[in-house]
Amino acid sequence: MLFFSYFKDLVGKEVTVELKNDLAIRGTLHSVDQYLNIKLENTRVVDQDKYPHMLSVRNCFIRGSVVRYVQLPPEGVDVDLLHDATRREARGG
Amino acid sequence: MAPGLRQFTERRGDGAGQPVIDTDNGEELMLMFREVSIVIGNGSPESPGTLYISTKKVLWLSDVDRTKGYAVDFLSISLHAVSRDPEAYPSPCIYTQIETGEDEDESEGSDSECSDALDLSKVTEMRLVPSDPSQLDTLFQVFCECAELNPEPVEDNEEEHNWIFSADQLADETAEVEDSEWNFSQNPTSSIGHSNGDHDLVRTVLELQINDHRFEDAEEMEHEHESKGRH
Repeated sequence: MLFFSYFKDLVGKEVTVELKNDLAIRGTLHSVDQYLNIKLENTRVVDQDKYPHMLSVRNCFIRGSVVRYVQLPPEGVDVDLLHDATRREARGG
Repeated sequence: MAPGLRQFTERRGDGAGQPVIDTDNGEELMLMFREVSIVIGNGSPESPGTLYISTKKVLWLSDVDRTKGYAVDFLSISLHAVSRDPEAYPSPCIYTQIETGEDEDESEGSDSECSDALDLSKVTEMRLVPSDPSQLDTLFQVFCECAELNPEPVEDNEEEHNWIFSADQLADETAEVEDSEWNFSQNPTSSIGHSNGDHDLVRTVLELQINDHRFEDAEEMEHEHESKGRH
């Protein structure tokens, strides 16, 4: 649940979602649910030469299970806070 | 593992009605959209049909050819999006990517083959083009809701069944008691199994713990197995 809460805090920020099929989509994080399904707005494909037909889709829903990485905006990462949160989660409390 | 896109022709009634869905396992029809074309891969749009969205899958049935229809489980839909840019596709549509379990590259370069020879299970892209583009946002919303109804199935549960000995599970899994009594008796914390290794005694004790709900539970288990078998 840690990542769910964390991603919820990133709503409204720009992220890049890299899929397991190598497609990377950049967009504004619109919402995320408990399965880490991700909804992006104003999306654009990072490698447009490879995926020309996805040039511009406005809204995009990405299934959580196909996400490989989410590239975060630097200003959205509070390292100390995350550190504490992950430690707490690991302790199970 | 993901089945990808497949043929679907089971219709209710005289083979002309709505698609046959798995209501026994809780599948429900969420939405029906008339006058929707389907574009599979890089193919050309297929004659208008009717789009059905159930809690488990997306179905498209041709209005003209009763033997023509497709289905794809939400579990296999990696992403879906609203595509309105004419450069991306001439008509506004719902764009979907389908997980096939195959290597991506295999599906490339098969454009020249005629559509009959197209291997549906290797199709990685599908577009749904409604004749009325104002429906796109509604369609997108329903896609989102249904995708959320279909999280990844948890697979490693089965393994644990042999090891956990809660009272509930003893009642549930009488069939497995035979196999698991060894684990039970080898468990040093279990005074019963440890005392003399008398397996009949172990079984007797296990049976004593089984309450009267066992038959209800057994039925439920059967149900579960059935549903797993079908998907």
